Amino acid sequence: MSVTRRELLWATAGIGAAGALAACAGSKGGSGSAAGVASGSANEQPRTGGTLKVGALGRASAITRDPHGTQANESDYLIISLLYDTLTVPGDKTNTAARLAASWKPSEDLRTWRFTLADGATFHDGTPVTAEDVVWSLRRLRATPSGKSRLPGIQPEGIQAEDARTVVLVSDYANADLPLLTRLTTFVLKKDTKDDALAGAPGTGPFTLDWYRDGNARLVRNDNWYGGKVLLDAVEVRIFESPQAMANALLAGQIDVASNVGAVAARTAETRKDIQILRRPNDMAMPIVMRAADGPFADAKVREALRLSVDRDAMVKQVLSGYGTVGNDILGTGDPAYAKDIPQRKRDLDRARQLLAEAGFDTARTYDLITTEDIAGLAESATLFATQVREAGVRINVVKQDSKVFWDATWLKAPLYTSYWGTNDSVVFFASKTMLSDAGQNEAGWQEPSFDEAYRTAMATADEAARTTLLHQLQEIEYARSGYLLWGMADGIDLAGSAVRDLPRLPGYGRVQLEKTWLAR
Amino acid sequence: MTPAPTAGGAAAPPAPPRAAGPLPGLGRAAWLAARRLAMLTVLLAAVFAAIELLPGDAANATSERGETAADMAARRAALGLDRPVVERFWDWMTGLPAGDLGTTAHGQPVTSVLAGPFPNTLLLGTLALTASILGALALGSWAALRPGGRTDRTIAVLSTAAFALPEFVLSVALLLVFSLWTGWLPAVTLTGADGTPASWDMLLLPALALAVPQIGWNTRIVRGALADQAALPHVRAAVLDGLPRHRILTHHMLPGALPAIAVSTATSAGMLLGGAVVVETLFNYPGIGAVLSGAIADRDTPLVAGVVAATGAAISILLLLADLVRERVLRERP
Repeated sequence: MSVTRRELLWATAGIGAAGALAACAGSKGGSGSAAGVASGSANEQPRTGGTLKVGALGRASAITRDPHGTQANESDYLIISLLYDTLTVPGDKTNTAARLAASWKPSEDLRTWRFTLADGATFHDGTPVTAEDVVWSLRRLRATPSGKSRLPGIQPEGIQAEDARTVVLVSDYANADLPLLTRLTTFVLKKDTKDDALAGAPGTGPFTLDWYRDGNARLVRNDNWYGGKVLLDAVEVRIFESPQAMANALLAGQIDVASNVGAVAARTAETRKDIQILRRPNDMAMPIVMRAADGPFADAKVREALRLSVDRDAMVKQVLSGYGTVGNDILGTGDPAYAKDIPQRKRDLDRARQLLAEAGFDTARTYDLITTEDIAGLAESATLFATQVREAGVRINVVKQDSKVFWDATWLKAPLYTSYWGTNDSVVFFASKTMLSDAGQNEAGWQEPSFDEAYRTAMATADEAARTTLLHQLQEIEYARSGYLLWGMADGIDLAGSAVRDLPRLPGYGRVQLEKTWLAR
Repeated sequence: MTPAPTAGGAAAPPAPPRAAGPLPGLGRAAWLAARRLAMLTVLLAAVFAAIELLPGDAANATSERGETAADMAARRAALGLDRPVVERFWDWMTGLPAGDLGTTAHGQPVTSVLAGPFPNTLLLGTLALTASILGALALGSWAALRPGGRTDRTIAVLSTAAFALPEFVLSVALLLVFSLWTGWLPAVTLTGADGTPASWDMLLLPALALAVPQIGWNTRIVRGALADQAALPHVRAAVLDGLPRHRILTHHMLPGALPAIAVSTATSAGMLLGGAVVVETLFNYPGIGAVLSGAIADRDTPLVAGVVAATGAAISILLLLADLVRERVLRERP
């Protein structure tokens, strides 16, 4: 209900602001400050100094400062990520890049992984980071209610210190992509940090805490950071309940960056030449889940027919305001190993009708597509999809559900529903989490022995090239038969003032790495 | 309560009490306070019951996707949600006198979550309430002194319109005009290191957005109450005596209209806090409204109850003051 109201607010302000901005554009354009700043020229030398004011979404009621807690707020996650380091982070060339762990090496059987800590890594109080600190932190993470899903396949006793600089993780099964698990949540605290001392607990990150208050914080540069030179003097994080207020703050020049503010804000800012619209591709997947285990969509031909009925370009254009890319029914689109060469599936209504007829699909019935308003555009995607597949003869009735009811009663169970995922840079992640026959979050109840086999072989293959080939096979099976219809990928959208340079361009939580960001003013 | 004296037979209506009611002086105030306290308790019980009726609970609101049923049960137990709601309500209520408002679903003490936002909302609310009282008194008196005239009719229309205006429409309009178009005022509130708005001018737009509808409402009340007073013999007499208009207003009309104005002000305080949920979100004001909407979304009963207790106490104090003003004026009335 609150989301509906928020969207209403959004719409109202959007209409108003569009007019307002059209009026502004003239005067701002004339001031001369706007010309050519939007992208920043490539030959500029990064400068040190300055304070970057970043707005990030969060609810005052959900604030947490525990690096291993449930971080519902993007603002909290941003602050924690600037203060503390994880073992590894999302990267652009490889999807796992070094951070507190400088390197890692598997055993022959790909079950035991040795992480070597970065040279010169110290906490903000000057004490060196030891493997003991890391082991204690990982075990603390593992002991949280969501610890098992954050470190899947790793038991508490499988986390050990080999020597002062080496941490050993032992997996229950061969896992060639284990380092991937250490990217987003493995924040390292000092050993034996008390729960009531978390607020002031020193981290190892590129910034140290100046002050913190009610979800807002000011962080200053850590000159001794082991990871290289940090450019900004300080980062000020401001919590925003609504993306609209955050966009307004940016438009009024009160903040420099509106992080993950969304497509509606981008559209309103399009006429402002002094504002940069930064698109981070492959940020959010909003697949339609067709239950493969049983029910009306159990026949692979029916699922194929629906995938051929959707007009992907129209979905991206209308649901995402054009801020996105067309999908090809394979999840993990941001992965370097993503199979770009598999032909793009296009709309083919004749073929769809033919497949439906072959499968004996009952076109006289109306089928419910269940959706929520959890994220912007999700319910709209369901509605537009229903209109499109009507042309292939499939009648779909869109049912909007309260978020709590949806996650309790619909998710993993209903024959047809919308889902969404915010981490999209790993094909393996989705394969293991949502598509293996015995996966805990097998959203479509899909059981495909050949897929399971391809996954297990790939994960037990140490040779990089051989694994890439296997992952390609895995994606071919997924493309042909899975329970997913992935029509497109939403861009992550940040707005930034004209002086901001080198903001991270990674999807999802890759956006929190601000150590290389600088200000041209 | 003692039964009213009925000397002279059942048919005779009891004389209206001239001085105090059944309880004199301080006792009366205590009784009124007790009544307000009881209402607040009932309200808090209703909050616990209402959140219980909403689908889902704080455990699944704060969990991450993919947690197993056992993980969820552990979360539920950690939050105490496996106990009956009556028991949880009792625990929460018994902690209240000691200032213990419990722990949020995200593991923070409720008092620390409210420590910053509540004073901020009180500040914003006080500002908006003061503006609405002053605005309403000025407009209402202006209209009442010219009954039936063009000014009176214009104010009547405008005040009704202002009251009918939803806060978010007004907020968006104010934002566009005073911030995005002209750049005169900040668009949103940014919080400083001490948890309060970083500069005073950030308060103006949200306060205005809250005050305008209440000015509309209270102007109607003030105008009405003054009209009632104008019809009374002693006011008519004052007019016939040729006293100046402002003197009639301040000495003869306003004192009698005070109880109605006091009650409407107290009611306004409640409506202001309701409007704060929307206005604070739009202007990113670090107040209790934002906390409340998030807490309800998370089914975070202790936090919702904490917000209700804090705001309820504030409103109860205002209502109590209004009661006392009313009692006092009625007592003094000849």
